Amino acid sequence: MINLINPSKIFVWIEKITNFINSVFFIVLALALTFALIISPPDYLQGDSVRIMYVHVPSAWIALASYTCLALLSIMSFLFKIKNLNLISKSIAPIGLLFTCLAIITGSLWGQPTWGTWWVWDARITSMVVLLIFYILFVLINKFIKDEEKANKISSIIAIIGLVNIPIIKYSVDWWNTLHQPKSISIINGTSSIHSTMLMPLVLMLLVLLLYCALIFLMKYKTEIIRIKKKSIKRL
Amino acid sequence: MIQNLISMNGYGLFVWLSFAITIVACGVIYYKTYKTLKKYEKAFAKELHLLSEADRKIILEKSKVANQVFASYNKSI
Repeated sequence: MINLINPSKIFVWIEKITNFINSVFFIVLALALTFALIISPPDYLQGDSVRIMYVHVPSAWIALASYTCLALLSIMSFLFKIKNLNLISKSIAPIGLLFTCLAIITGSLWGQPTWGTWWVWDARITSMVVLLIFYILFVLINKFIKDEEKANKISSIIAIIGLVNIPIIKYSVDWWNTLHQPKSISIINGTSSIHSTMLMPLVLMLLVLLLYCALIFLMKYKTEIIRIKKKSIKRL
Repeated sequence: MIQNLISMNGYGLFVWLSFAITIVACGVIYYKTYKTLKKYEKAFAKELHLLSEADRKIILEKSKVANQVFASYNKSI
């Protein structure tokens, strides 16, 4: 199992996977944008502003999923002392940071026509800002602390502490009275209150953004492996 | 029809801005990540060039990573 996550073994596959993603990415992107901006119908209540959902919701999902991965990898890194897990965490963090920012910005752009305000300190939005702070701390610690072992340790602790915030974000709309609408899709129960004509573009946009994430992750991970190998080039 | 697509019944500014910000931000991050990767590949290949012929040959035979980076760098120049 540990041999499977050996950077040298993964490195060989990176090129192949990247080429595959590059070959299908623009086709899926064109399809997703056509569905999201042209084919899908406007909402009976929100009108065309509902189309913001197709970038806002997948961004928020990716932001939460990335942080959960980050925190779980940090716990595993603490328990099993596998250095490669730190490289994976470092490669995931910027992706999560990007999508947290996008979820907040597109949420604000959706809030203005729907709620009549760009910003409100309600539970869901505030907990997303807390998530953003954890991501920023994680990235800054790895960037500015030169001692790699120390940086890994501190950033892992930060990631694990921040894990508490994930259920708060998820259940904030149930626990408190917020402006944010309650969940429309339950992955656990496999239920959705979204009509299939809107669900289709949402899934397609999620697929596009996941492909993009995979591309960025592979490039970042490759960069990290090269950086490590360069340090010990004579011992290779 | 195009007018409708642009105006989105008055929500055009919000909808188009959301998609534009997402696409531009993703594009910028992709470009920066790609540039950084190429920079590291170049630095790694240069370091390999500095080694003696024999050392380089041993490393390229032993390390898959070194081999791939070196090949990818040579392809790009």
